[in-house]
Amino acid sequence: MASPKTLPKDAQVMVQILKDMGITEYEPRVINQMLEFTYRYVTTIIEDAKIYSTHAKKSTVDADDIRLAIQCRVDQSFTSPPPRDFLLEVARQKNITPLPLIKPYTGPRLPPDRYCLTAPNYRLKSLQKKVSSSAGRITVPRLSVGPVSSRPSTPTLGTPSVQTVGTKVGTPVSLTGQRFTVQIPQAASVKSATPTTPTVQNVLINPSLIGSKNILITTNMVSQNSSSDSTSLKRKHGDEDDYDAL
Amino acid sequence: MAAVQDGPMELDTEKETKPEILSDGSANLSGNAGSGVLSSSPHAAGAQKPEDQQTLIAVLQFLRRNKLTESVDILKREAGLSDDQENSKATDTGGKGDGDAGDANALLSRVSITSATAPQSAPLPLKSGDDQPDVRVVLSAYSQQGEPPLYKVYYSDLKKFIESVLDCHRAELSQLFYPLFVHMYLELVYNNNESEARAFFDKFSGDQECYYQDDLRVLCGLTKKEHMKGNETLLDFRTSRFVLRISRDSYQLLKRHLQERQNNQIWNIIQEHLYIDIFDGMPRSKSQIDSMSGSLAGEAKREVNKVKVYYGLLKEPEIEVPLDDEDDEAENEEGKPKKKKAKKDSLGSKSKKQDPNAPQQNRIPLPELKDSDKLDKIMYMKESTKRIRLSPENLPSICFYTFLNAYQGLTAVDFTDDSSLLAGGFSDSTVRVWSVTPKKLRKVKSAAELNLIDKESDDVLERIMDEKTASESKVLYGHGGPVYGVSFSPDRNYLLSSSEDGTVRLWSLQTFTCLVGYKGHNYPVWDTQFSPFGYYFVSGGHDRVARLWATDHYQPLRIFAGHLADVTCTRFHPNANYVATGSSDRTVRLWDVLNGNCVRIFTGHKGPIHSLAFSPNGKFLASGATDGRVLLWDIGHGLMIGELKGHTDTIYSLRFSRDGEILASGSMDNTVRLWDAMKAFDDIEMDDFTAATGHIHLYDNSQELLLGSYNSKSTSVIHLHFTRRNLLLAAGMYNSQ
Repeated sequence: MASPKTLPKDAQVMVQILKDMGITEYEPRVINQMLEFTYRYVTTIIEDAKIYSTHAKKSTVDADDIRLAIQCRVDQSFTSPPPRDFLLEVARQKNITPLPLIKPYTGPRLPPDRYCLTAPNYRLKSLQKKVSSSAGRITVPRLSVGPVSSRPSTPTLGTPSVQTVGTKVGTPVSLTGQRFTVQIPQAASVKSATPTTPTVQNVLINPSLIGSKNILITTNMVSQNSSSDSTSLKRKHGDEDDYDAL
Repeated sequence: MAAVQDGPMELDTEKETKPEILSDGSANLSGNAGSGVLSSSPHAAGAQKPEDQQTLIAVLQFLRRNKLTESVDILKREAGLSDDQENSKATDTGGKGDGDAGDANALLSRVSITSATAPQSAPLPLKSGDDQPDVRVVLSAYSQQGEPPLYKVYYSDLKKFIESVLDCHRAELSQLFYPLFVHMYLELVYNNNESEARAFFDKFSGDQECYYQDDLRVLCGLTKKEHMKGNETLLDFRTSRFVLRISRDSYQLLKRHLQERQNNQIWNIIQEHLYIDIFDGMPRSKSQIDSMSGSLAGEAKREVNKVKVYYGLLKEPEIEVPLDDEDDEAENEEGKPKKKKAKKDSLGSKSKKQDPNAPQQNRIPLPELKDSDKLDKIMYMKESTKRIRLSPENLPSICFYTFLNAYQGLTAVDFTDDSSLLAGGFSDSTVRVWSVTPKKLRKVKSAAELNLIDKESDDVLERIMDEKTASESKVLYGHGGPVYGVSFSPDRNYLLSSSEDGTVRLWSLQTFTCLVGYKGHNYPVWDTQFSPFGYYFVSGGHDRVARLWATDHYQPLRIFAGHLADVTCTRFHPNANYVATGSSDRTVRLWDVLNGNCVRIFTGHKGPIHSLAFSPNGKFLASGATDGRVLLWDIGHGLMIGELKGHTDTIYSLRFSRDGEILASGSMDNTVRLWDAMKAFDDIEMDDFTAATGHIHLYDNSQELLLGSYNSKSTSVIHLHFTRRNLLLAAGMYNSQ
């Protein structure tokens, strides 16, 4: 480590600043990081100030431009937490509502699926040849695109029937959707004494043409024991009975 | 109301009669009455109500200050105010309430400002009768109290006076120095008197108490008004009132001195920024004051700590424990008729009546016990029968888990309650989970494989687990910044982690994937903890609030706002009805989960608080900070009952043993210290005076209470955990330099 005598002047200044702020123990690389930060910050401010001064058609950059540049940067990068009175007001509003009652026997207590990270963030391309019959015109199962049902325990969502990919339906191209069977590990399970039912998740992906939610998940969660019909979960393509029963 | 204009004496006596109710804010006028002409303004009791008039005057002052003279004229004309009325200074009611507003207006009508003497008539910030926080902030910009260069004179005068009083009063009045110094300095900076501010600082900063040095260093770097804007802590300091506890005698002395003088700017500042909590009785000694002071907001008002707190424990549910079953225990369900006699185990609570200090069972909604939870409880009871009883003669063994090769990156550690899993949060944003027992970590099989297993078999719970990827540790990726807090759920299904990226993530320990990201703090979240019953968790962060969440709500249920600086440590009370938060403003607050109110404020630490621990019986709280002291608090009475000195560096971990006999503390100075908690809590004597005023004389018995100090080889102790059998586990990271 270089002794202070041979450090460049900037670094010596930085050492002094750290000492003034009461920071006595630090790794040697901290000085380099602080100097880089300083350089970047000052350069950004001065560049911004130059832009503002040319915008105001001034010949030189003056203190007002710098002040404006600093203020804009502060609002952008170095935000500070909300002020106390705002927090107190928000807290007052939040704390007035009573605590919600807890429903018994609901399995894993998670927020609605939309707020969870349990949805798959990918989709698989279908390997079926029939898909390529019309570029972009993908056969459509009869869909009712409704709002997403949010509780993981619901077995299916408004889709009244399963159609294989092969059936053609005379609906316009704009209503396209594809149903794929995707094997996804189940999100969470609760250990319970009852034997767990293995699950398969069906993913219906709407390519947002219809403007509804992008991904609808049908999951049969482990803990769901409300409908015992849904135990047969390996979805064969022709298996329409399950849906009618639900 | 508009009575004869006597001198200031009458005002004094009126104040005297109700010193307890009114804050000193309402006594503001006497200072100004002392000098100058008293003109009655009988038309003050005009057409308008007193509160409206005050607001009107406030608005007028605001307009005038911003040089909107035309608006001022128009408003005056329309409101029908005469010059006299408008010139009379409104009172500073200190936001106490309607009763005071009435009184203050009575005083208002009898006093006018000395508008002739210009410097002193600088408009005081006017507060309306009720203390809306927003109005205060808008109007409470620092005003100029007299000439800036004279600030030094005022301060030295006060110093000279305080040095000349009797010894017994001097300690109490010296409390004034620090808040006055800071407020005067900030005032100078705010009004752009940079050179005077610096001179003022240089002259008087050396006189302040040593434990305020960190604050002074921050102030030193703050020389311009723009610097103040980004610093929320200082802004809060500016708008909140620093609380001082002074005995009545000392207070009379001070008041008399300040009101005699011609320039009582100090008195004005005191009115505006300080809250003096007067108590009757002996003045406190320096050591008493030192032990309680140190926080950024002064001490706590006595009424604050008088709220009833239900610190008792909730009743344990009755579970039948079958006798003698060592092996097949887990398979038996609760309630199944047994061949042998079942023993009803209620964990020692023989009485059926409700503990008066315990909350109702349904005070806050708690999740019901599932079968798996009941099995856990049975295991817990069995383990607790094998627990070692600790005592000063029987100290626990300590097992230290050192994290090697963590490249100084270990920032958070947690153990499950049964000590089977260990989680570490790192500064490279990963969370790792280890299995402490020989049993490896397994995750649930993928859906395709799950289809293939035999669902009817008896050991289906083992079959769903994937043996191929079993390992001793698993890594969880997902955060966007260093992980500062980790917490296991009591049922070992979930893990929480809080990070600098502002989110709290819930991970499943069955699949080792992330389930939810709770966004709410937009700033680093320093700590998080599950409640003792699961379902709820609390998090605290840089935005100075702690939030209470439930796992199935994406928004917080409660927001605990009140701290002046970051919330660094959050802990649940064993009955899950209260949350304790420790903060960088050097206070510990206790919040009620039911309604979000702050029920206790504990001051006394001299540095940011980094660790909190509740005693297992729920009555006491221990807190550790960067100043190396552990303070013990009685929750029921709201008092400090012990101080444990010995550590030389920040205390990052505190834990009581399972029965509460021993308190273990771990610190950055590479030691674990064991303290005799039983003795510390037995030695409290509570008489009426201490209960009323909160002044305890603490004996320095740290040495007697220290049972042992154990050094590690350059490994700072980040976490402590007592197993169910009272073995102490410690975790820390090895520092090679």
